[in-house]
Amino acid sequence: MKLFRTIAILVAAITLTSACKQRGEVTEAEAQELATREKRLADRIAGFAVDTVGGPALARWVLPAELKEISGLAVTADGNLLAHNDEQGRVFVIDPKRGLVTKQFMVGGGDLRGDFEAIAVSGADIFMLVSNGTIYRFREGMDGEAVRYTTIDTKLGHECEFEGIAVDRGGVVLLPCKNVGRKALRDQLVIYRWELKRGASQRPSMLMIPHSQLIGPTGWKTLHPSDMAIDPATGNYVIIASLEKGLIEITPGGSVVRSGPLPEASEQAEGVAITKDGILAISDEGNRAPATITLYRWPLAPAAVSTGALSTTNPEDSR
Amino acid sequence: MPFFRRFIDLMSLGSERPILRLVAYYLGVGVIIIGLAYFYPESEKLLLGRGAATPAQTPLILEDGLTPAPAATTLSAGSLLELTVTTTLVLLGTMVLMLPVSWVYMSARHVPGHAQAVVQTLIILPLVVAGIVLIVRDSLSLAFSLAGVVAAVRFRTNLRDTRDVVFIFLSIAVGFAAGVQTLAVGAVLTIVFNFVLLLTWRYDYGRNVLTPTAASQWAGPLASLASQDDHDSVPDRDLVLTLSPKSADALADRFERVSDVLGKRGKKPRYTAVLSVQTNEVAEAQELVEKVLDDKAKRWKLDEVVTNTGKPSEVYYILRPRKSVTRDELLTAIRDIAGEKVEHVDLESRDAIEEEVGVSV
Repeated sequence: MKLFRTIAILVAAITLTSACKQRGEVTEAEAQELATREKRLADRIAGFAVDTVGGPALARWVLPAELKEISGLAVTADGNLLAHNDEQGRVFVIDPKRGLVTKQFMVGGGDLRGDFEAIAVSGADIFMLVSNGTIYRFREGMDGEAVRYTTIDTKLGHECEFEGIAVDRGGVVLLPCKNVGRKALRDQLVIYRWELKRGASQRPSMLMIPHSQLIGPTGWKTLHPSDMAIDPATGNYVIIASLEKGLIEITPGGSVVRSGPLPEASEQAEGVAITKDGILAISDEGNRAPATITLYRWPLAPAAVSTGALSTTNPEDSR
Repeated sequence: MPFFRRFIDLMSLGSERPILRLVAYYLGVGVIIIGLAYFYPESEKLLLGRGAATPAQTPLILEDGLTPAPAATTLSAGSLLELTVTTTLVLLGTMVLMLPVSWVYMSARHVPGHAQAVVQTLIILPLVVAGIVLIVRDSLSLAFSLAGVVAAVRFRTNLRDTRDVVFIFLSIAVGFAAGVQTLAVGAVLTIVFNFVLLLTWRYDYGRNVLTPTAASQWAGPLASLASQDDHDSVPDRDLVLTLSPKSADALADRFERVSDVLGKRGKKPRYTAVLSVQTNEVAEAQELVEKVLDDKAKRWKLDEVVTNTGKPSEVYYILRPRKSVTRDELLTAIRDIAGEKVEHVDLESRDAIEEEVGVSV
């Protein structure tokens, strides 16, 4: 009986102690660390600091286990990053300058699962892409909130496997194709343009650029885009390819601005985003090491560039 | 645990019925869970299965990959406390769920089916399973390691009763539910299991009405043992090999007592039937049944009263009905006079058994 009483008192003490710790509380020491990080990053951006170890990265944040399979990355209007893993409809909001997960919210009831591949932001709307071309549309939620969503079925899953999504300035959803189904298009980079205003019955137009123009002197045999972002300064499309470990930048018209390797050797770059103040964020899925988000100055230092002719078509024209 | 006993006594108004006591227990546990969820909202995760999938608290400071800070790289005191609380609550929850299962096992599995080792296993096994699942979680490599370790350890324990296997499966299921922090599933599973099991035990569900009675099962072998006919008799040498002097004496004593009851050799047996009565009010039912027996039986004798808790007690009489009284008349008379005081009444007669088994001694 005495033993039972002792155990009960211990459990009650632990429970109460734990309950007393307020959710969302940052200690003074942690606040100081966050301020130091912010200042360090500002110094690095300004070029005052030269203590960056191992390359051009401004900062690298090691992600928690829940984001080990980080898949998509996007920037919100207030400069935060949105990230998610590839299985759960759960979005993490990360302050990139301080390396702080500020909140997380769930899409649907919290148990939404799917092969989520990418995320993009347009105004107040957030778009999350499934590899079969289905898009989940929702708004940013509060910490711990389950937000409602609607789905857009592009019906493009049989033509293409998707891993990236971006929304351009005109509100057109851009879907770069990782693996093209149609043989005739396999030697080209294909980007579908899905216009939100036209509804589900539309047949999207496509931007097609031959691989030969994109690859140039890089030595890649082909190109498998794993994510895409819009440069807020120029409106250019920035695409990363995990398999080729490459980064390309093209104009909305299809001209190649930049084609070269990623800023640093990366194990599996799955997400890309660019902030208004010129920071390129690349998420790297964790395999042997933990997943990370790395920040670089944008635009990057000049790399190999190959310019090519534009090829824009509507699929109905190509039939 | 006198406190628990007093608490359950209070809640069940002192009833000894297992179902009432179970209801009282679950009500008490429900109140504790509501209180826990109110004062410690995080515990809801353990019940509803969000624990395994829920990431760490926000805001969460990420580790700096370029200039690592020691404080951020390791398990902090806060997360250690959270891990300790979570694990403790999971294991306590498992015990809370498995305790009534062990009580039901002990209630419904009387000797000779009862095995103390199984009762202890019911408490300990789910704790171990929950611990393993907590460690393995979503790690495929750990799962393979576990499979390797388990494959290396061989278990060869035979359970005497297939129903014990069901209890073991249940304890594994509860362990898994606790391990993946879905205690609500484990709770529903054990509650339904306990009540279904108690009800099947209470009403003897599944009993085959065509199953021979104990008396008819023994009629053949006993007649064979007693036979002096060379064809049917059991050879003495076999009895010599089978019995020890002590058991032979005990058997002789029992047969002597049976002989006294049956009457002298060469005469008709004094008692020819067994009346079994199931009732929740033993004293009242006995009084009423005995009135009928006074009237309808040439002679009768109370043989045994088996008192049960949670289901009707059993009263057995041996008797010799009057020649003019048929089985149906006797049973109808008892049902008429006893009414609802008697749950079930049956009469098993020697003549019917001999006819059924084809034995003549």
